[in-house]
Amino acid sequence: MVNTTSSSSILQPIRVGIVGAGYIANAHVGAYVETPGVTVVGVADPVVAKAERVARRGGAVAMTSIDELLDAGIDLISICTPSPTHPDLVEQAVVAGIHVLCEKPVARTYADALRIVDAARVAPGIVMIGHVSRFEPDHRRAQQIIAAGRLGELRMMSQTITSSMPGWSQDGWLSDPSQSGGPLVDLAIHSFDYLAWVNQSEPVRVHAVASDTAVGPATYALATVRYANGALGLVETSWAHPTSHGFKVSTELVGADGRINWDYDGLIGGVLNTDDGNSVRFDPLGNRGFVAEIGAMVEAIRTGSPSPVTASEGLSALKTSLAALESVRTRQPVDLTTWSPS
Amino acid sequence: MNALSSDVPVVDDRLGVAVLGVAHIPHAMSYARCLTNSSTARLVGVYDESVELGRRVADRFGAVFQPDLDSLISSADVQAVVVCSATINHRPLVAAAAARGLHVLCEKPIATSVEDAEAMIAICAEHGVQLHTAFVTRFYPLVARVRAAVQDGSLGELLGMVGGNRGRPPLPPQYPDWITNQSESGGGALMDHSVHVTDIMRHISGLEVASVTAEVDSLFWESGVDDMALMSLTFDNGAIGSVDPSWSVPAGNAWDYDFYLRVIGTKGSVSINDLAESLQLVSSAVAPGMRLVPFGVDIDALMVDAFVASVRSGEFVSPCADGIDGLRALETALAGYESSSRSATVALPSAGT
Repeated sequence: MVNTTSSSSILQPIRVGIVGAGYIANAHVGAYVETPGVTVVGVADPVVAKAERVARRGGAVAMTSIDELLDAGIDLISICTPSPTHPDLVEQAVVAGIHVLCEKPVARTYADALRIVDAARVAPGIVMIGHVSRFEPDHRRAQQIIAAGRLGELRMMSQTITSSMPGWSQDGWLSDPSQSGGPLVDLAIHSFDYLAWVNQSEPVRVHAVASDTAVGPATYALATVRYANGALGLVETSWAHPTSHGFKVSTELVGADGRINWDYDGLIGGVLNTDDGNSVRFDPLGNRGFVAEIGAMVEAIRTGSPSPVTASEGLSALKTSLAALESVRTRQPVDLTTWSPS
Repeated sequence: MNALSSDVPVVDDRLGVAVLGVAHIPHAMSYARCLTNSSTARLVGVYDESVELGRRVADRFGAVFQPDLDSLISSADVQAVVVCSATINHRPLVAAAAARGLHVLCEKPIATSVEDAEAMIAICAEHGVQLHTAFVTRFYPLVARVRAAVQDGSLGELLGMVGGNRGRPPLPPQYPDWITNQSESGGGALMDHSVHVTDIMRHISGLEVASVTAEVDSLFWESGVDDMALMSLTFDNGAIGSVDPSWSVPAGNAWDYDFYLRVIGTKGSVSINDLAESLQLVSSAVAPGMRLVPFGVDIDALMVDAFVASVRSGEFVSPCADGIDGLRALETALAGYESSSRSATVALPSAGT
């Protein structure tokens, strides 16, 4: 009389390695620890103390190189290193036959990104680019509402992501435009990827203006994007805000039949004030975006599904970022349908 | 490529759970969904005295509807039950499950009377099974932050708490009519919502309610039961509190339900509001005007998983609420009704002062 069908099966844990043990590796390891069916085996970074700190959170062994990770026998690698190092690491992991979760931006240059797209094409496993915005619960809920047709076709979009200059990068590589590309490449790429995805339409033209500030060239920038379906997008990006400004995200999506907006000032789940003068704001999002991103990767591996975010999608978002930089340089709009990054 | 999966089937080790009573249809649907999606539990059957209601839930999730209660709870596949009937029927269903050695997650409020709640606690203790009360609000991550701030001393000695759980009236057709029938539900808004807020205040503070003074009325809707109330509390350390459980949310409002809590102590203060985790949506395809669309964590799923983990481990997993927690919140609500009818403050004997 009762349902006695049995569907569970024994699954071997997925063995994970993390290369790069900085800020973003901390987000990855925290999410892996929360994900059933995975084991973090090793964390590699040339700075031993950083590798040890992240490895400790994951119950893993600290290492110094990707070679050691591969020798340890892993099924999946998280690449959390500075952007210019991505193509060599992705190629090495693909040759080793393992799955790859590569942080955004896919690479620093278009040529490097093409190498990763080529590697993904022949890879026996999954190559996913870590565009975590798609997996943040607020961004995801908005995308679901739009995909269900509640707003009609999108017309106007804007996203603001602003902060002070991140202080966490090793040897300050984020402050070096030749390595990071500045916020138009490292930060605004979240918005370029998310808006194109939620709009389900390719960008066709980009115009950007930027300010050189005390923390570096083009560290405050405004990009206007035109999409093939006619929609417009404004992307505001900054590493030039005062530290007390915090990390702010604000999004508006307007379609023919409706509008969605949210912002992180309205996302304060609570505030704790104590008489020592401290004030703690409760962020209700926490690590949920990374947990969902890594959950999607694990699910794809388990089920043999396509990459949740492909290298080609990472390339497309990078191309928009690079076109924005080109527009800042030339002071002219860039036609993405004809422009090819050098 | 390393081998990453195996198709070798093994014995299903998920906890077999039956749903007994689905008269609280929206919650029964949600718990059945959580059991269906759970990796640690499976929905093995649904019982209800109404074939139509029981089948509606069972069919939605591909589970078996069993019109004979005893057959379902004597099945070897069932190790635990979720009771989601009309409140007045909690006691016989919990008693039947406990007598079969089944662990119980019981919908809130735990019962309509102290006598019933105490009898449920006693029979579960007698048969050595866990009795959980479905206080889902405990599973908001923000509530855990507040509880931690109390426990780590950030707030000092607690001075006062203000909380609310406002909502729309649970009227047909979305809700069954028993919820607004005094004899089956035990009361209206005060009974329905205050138990969540009272429980959260007890849960985060470790304090017990010492006295209740309440104003109760029904000026919003023609529901037949109270739809508005304010309940003043004192706690056993002298702290004060206020609870707003009203069905005071008008049609056309941007949201249907909220939950908020503000706490002040000798060293600090904290406030939380679940509406923060929402998108603002305007859609002519959904409703006129702006709506808040939540994207918070699924607290029903967290509660069901924690219930399953508690049954497996043999101990209540934090922050699960037990039968005593259900009883204390019920006593406070009933004291609120008594206070209102007598226009007097009612002391609670359980405060241990």
